[in-house]
Amino acid sequence: MNRTPVAGRIGQYVALAAYVVFLVFPLLWLLSVSLKSPADLATLPAQLLPRGLFFGNYQEIASKQGLLESAWNSTLVAVGTMLLTIAVSLPAAYALGRFRTFLGPAATIWILVSQVFPVILIAIPLFMIVRGLGLLNTLPGLILVYLVWTLPFALWMLRGYVSALPVDLEEAAACDGASRPRILVSVVLPLLRPGIIATAMFAFISSWNEFFFALVLLKGDTTTLPIALAQFVGSEGKVAFGPLAAASVLATLPSLVIFAIVQRRLTSGLLAGAVKG
Amino acid sequence: MRRRGFLAAAVSAPLVALAGCGGGDPEVKNGVVTLRFQSLAYQKTTVAAVKKIVADWNKANPKIQIAYQQGNWDGVHDQLVTQFSGGTAPTIIHDEAADIAGFAEQGFLADLGPHLSADVTGNVPKGIMDTVSSGGHTYAAPTLLQSYVVFANVDLLRKQGVAVPSGASLTWDALAAAAKQATKNGVFGLGWGLKQPTATVMSLALNFGGKFFGGTGHEATISVGDAEKQVPRRIHDMAYLDKSISPVTLTQSGTDILPGFYAGKYAMIVAGSYVAQQITEEAPKTFNWKVLPALSGTSTAQAANPQTLSVSATSKHVTEATQFIDFFMQAHNLAAVGQGDWLIPTTAPARAAIQQATGGKSGWTETLAGAGGLTKAPFQSVTNYPRWKDEVATPAFQKYLADKLSLDQLATQLADGWKTANQ
Repeated sequence: MNRTPVAGRIGQYVALAAYVVFLVFPLLWLLSVSLKSPADLATLPAQLLPRGLFFGNYQEIASKQGLLESAWNSTLVAVGTMLLTIAVSLPAAYALGRFRTFLGPAATIWILVSQVFPVILIAIPLFMIVRGLGLLNTLPGLILVYLVWTLPFALWMLRGYVSALPVDLEEAAACDGASRPRILVSVVLPLLRPGIIATAMFAFISSWNEFFFALVLLKGDTTTLPIALAQFVGSEGKVAFGPLAAASVLATLPSLVIFAIVQRRLTSGLLAGAVKG
Repeated sequence: MRRRGFLAAAVSAPLVALAGCGGGDPEVKNGVVTLRFQSLAYQKTTVAAVKKIVADWNKANPKIQIAYQQGNWDGVHDQLVTQFSGGTAPTIIHDEAADIAGFAEQGFLADLGPHLSADVTGNVPKGIMDTVSSGGHTYAAPTLLQSYVVFANVDLLRKQGVAVPSGASLTWDALAAAAKQATKNGVFGLGWGLKQPTATVMSLALNFGGKFFGGTGHEATISVGDAEKQVPRRIHDMAYLDKSISPVTLTQSGTDILPGFYAGKYAMIVAGSYVAQQITEEAPKTFNWKVLPALSGTSTAQAANPQTLSVSATSKHVTEATQFIDFFMQAHNLAAVGQGDWLIPTTAPARAAIQQATGGKSGWTETLAGAGGLTKAPFQSVTNYPRWKDEVATPAFQKYLADKLSLDQLATQLADGWKTANQ
């Protein structure tokens, strides 16, 4: 059995720690900026840590009307989009990955083509459709648009995962007498779990961060967090860095919590797939 | 960041008619007209001032109610493109003159000329009214604007042995001389955030009569002659011959350079007049600063790009909406909003009100005085100017200010690039 020398192991940990610091640094910087006073922010050279803890930025965003409502709206929209995207893309991806028909390549090309349209080009038709459905200024309307927006790429991602699954497993289950629904639920779905989770994360992040559609489809008290954050950016490039950082810290928390929960399942799913494969 | 949705605008034109097909009048309910007003007010004080104006109006006009709606500057152009196309744009629209020119051209904005009171139109200088007028129509009321001014660290200038400039105006030669004299002992005479240089150069070019464009719309032609070369050449010379401009600042934004200004790295900076607010809030209490007299070449002219209030052409209540705009433009209201944003009101009575309220402190006297030179620039009548600005002028000016192009090469790139951008 090979053993990693102690020096090598230490080197691995150091490299890993450096990588973690590299990844975490923007978040730490954001947190630090959110706790700096305007005078502290204007000091040169910029310091990593604030000279004193200044909670004025958090007080300011707390007094900003609608920020918490916007965060709640964003959560509803992101979770709704995530669930709908998976519900729609999963069976479609399975069909595309497993069944060889003349429609498969055509659908694949269409998926790729749909990704090259500029947002502004499809914004107006989508706007008209949403308005026609009476869903303007509603969260379901925005979820519908995000579903349309994320579906092609989600489908593309999941199709890759489906194609990577050995078809032998399904055939073996069929030989053992399992019905097709049973094969899908008991064999395919568990193996696809990492792919489903990765796709769900993609859908969640896409809709959580999206700005433009929310800007044109929502107004007033139905707005989402990216729009609320944009209120800290004024004309002529003026930016209220302190409050913006404080609001961004709060905006990041839900994503972090969801990632923390999902990450563990993503890893276990991968391992489960490896064992069965 | 502002993307121009020309393509979307083109796609949307046939949809405008569709938008007007709805029945009834959605703005009237139980005999009360309710008009949506999307405000882009940003500072806390300005938001409060605008909301107070709306509340005052609503109290005095029970039959014409204004519904305040908070918008933001980021993405407002694309938002309006979509909303105009879908027929859901707010009735009263807050934006800036350069941005709404295209909307006016496409017929999305109502002609306010017959409705605006003489008090408003008479108190706004003609050069500024011209920025919101086209073909005999007035498609917005100009409210607030900014100019480029020179801020000085008074104590540092004196320490460097430079007399603090005073008088009615500050010539470019005097600025260069002061900057050169102040450059010693690790201090640069001038810091200038020119990361996005086009707006600054195009505006200050008017100091020397630099027009760049002749004609209007798609027929406009470009000419980069001696007058147009003056501003870029002078900045370049200060940076590379006199070495009195910190070259690092040339790659920074207008507000990025403020920490260095407070820290005494530059004795003077050139920035938008609104920056005075940040200096007041952020600079150390001991920081002794002032706004210097308006920059002048052959004149103190600069381009005016005022914030505006306009009315959607689809509204059946243009008269009522304009009555509110008239109310908004009253001196005490406009002064309150201008003071909150540290921007210059377009009307003389509102400027006088701010002068009185502030006593001219914190640079207000010089800033308000600079309003006299603000006027419409030729590029504001050029349809493809935004495209030329983004694709041609900005990279060319950036290269020139990085000393990677000669002045003649800059002129050639600007002129040749126009042929492509105006196709």
